[in-house]
Amino acid sequence: MPHLVLDKISIHYDGQPAPAVERVSIAVDRSDFVVLVGRSGCGKTSLLNVAAGLVAPARGTASIDGREITGPGSDRAVVFQNDALFPWLTARENVAFALRLRGVAPSERARRADRLLDLVKLGDAGDKRVWELSGGMRQRVGLARALAAEPQFLLLDEPLGALDALTRERMQTTLLDLWTASQAGVLMVTHGIEEALVLATRIVVLAPGPGRVVRSFEPGFSRRYAAGEPIRAIKADPAFAVARGDLTDAIFEGEAA
Amino acid sequence: MTISSYTERAGSRTDETDGLSVPWSRPRTKRAGVSARMVSVATILAVLALWTLSARLQLVSPVFLPSPLAVWNKFVAVAQNGFVDATLAQHAVASLGRVFAALAAAILVGVPVGLAIGISTIGRGIFDPLLEFLRPIPPLAYLPLVVIWFGIGEPSKILVIAIAMLAPVALSTASGVRGVSQERINAARSLGATRAQVIRHVILPSALPSILTGLRIALGAGWSTLVAAELVAATRGLGFMIQSAAQFLVTDVVVMGILVIAAIAFVLEFIIRRIERLLVPWAGRE
Repeated sequence: MPHLVLDKISIHYDGQPAPAVERVSIAVDRSDFVVLVGRSGCGKTSLLNVAAGLVAPARGTASIDGREITGPGSDRAVVFQNDALFPWLTARENVAFALRLRGVAPSERARRADRLLDLVKLGDAGDKRVWELSGGMRQRVGLARALAAEPQFLLLDEPLGALDALTRERMQTTLLDLWTASQAGVLMVTHGIEEALVLATRIVVLAPGPGRVVRSFEPGFSRRYAAGEPIRAIKADPAFAVARGDLTDAIFEGEAA
Repeated sequence: MTISSYTERAGSRTDETDGLSVPWSRPRTKRAGVSARMVSVATILAVLALWTLSARLQLVSPVFLPSPLAVWNKFVAVAQNGFVDATLAQHAVASLGRVFAALAAAILVGVPVGLAIGISTIGRGIFDPLLEFLRPIPPLAYLPLVVIWFGIGEPSKILVIAIAMLAPVALSTASGVRGVSQERINAARSLGATRAQVIRHVILPSALPSILTGLRIALGAGWSTLVAAELVAATRGLGFMIQSAAQFLVTDVVVMGILVIAAIAFVLEFIIRRIERLLVPWAGRE
């Protein structure tokens, strides 16, 4: 089973007196949906960027299956808060981007892109220009584009952060469906407490100054969704409210009032 | 800060800016029926009227200022019969040919130079000072040197125009390249793009709106260099036509030539704006 492993990672940005992250270890299995939460400055995005190969750790190693991560690679596709789509391409061409880089034939990459657009419920938006799409639709194109690279891991940096509340609700189930369908492990950063509970198989709570792991939860709600339970029923479960209280406490633990 | 102190400040701010057309002043209803375009048309008509009037009343000798009618008649005459061995269309084609040859050269050199400035520190170190040196020099100043080096043939004329175009093309390209969002580049890299692929598939298209703006500025700069370029041993061209006319004090041809140059510049600007809208419909929508 491929593993994405962050091993005793410390991150130190140039010109900063203190490290942003100190000795954080996180392992993500391909069946995992790991969510990093924590207050601002806890280094969750920095850790994601280390996994993506966009930031080099000062100490510690990041690896996939024991191979050290030295740069970005298509085995770990990243989706950012701002979708970072290419406006000169149609939705379909955006999704097919990774395939084009690999020299896949045009007809084949259109076919595969359309299949992915179907998967994110944008089957008839393939010819649309990016700026004609709503924020939620754009983010779904971004997810489909990441999946086209057939990554072993999806790295999601607040993918729903720029969306309105209603769209965010709907996108939660989209993310879970994609996670199930793609067989890729997920490492995600979010500010949303409920989002973390719904999506994660494991929640890692980080605290700032310097960034470190303070708690780890296995809420189990996403497995219940994957087993067929409706999302509303899960959120209405009293256990969900209890978990939300626990998680909130963990995040704000030790914060000066 | 307390809420009350904030409201006080907000109130005083309104007082201070009352009557100024700054963004936070009260929106005002437009004066009925007057648009900037109508004022422009009225201004042009007024200038034409003044010009006609002064010519009619002989306020200025026709040698200095021919009447609009005389200029129009000259336009028709030169268009049909030509002036100094070429029709107006032939002069215009000669000039346009030079400007577009120069534009092609400026793109061929300027876009790669702009890319180098935007992408690499070494590229910026090499080309930035050279461009900053070249940019403020007026074409008439380097014209003699170009003639000494490259003779009086067609290449020299094109080169003079191309030099004027180079800086706008290169600097616009560079600023477009530097403005590419890091997230977009990171997204491409995480999808497996190599450095060359990032440049080809992300940086160049992202910089395209800026490059096109550079071309528009360059075309303006090149077109306004035309007369200087055609100072040297030209036998055709709008700039050449104006100069020959000036030597014989044929003022109506001079004025007509100026108006034709202005009109062509106007049309070029219009065309390139159309091209921009066609090629980069996403510009300004992000």
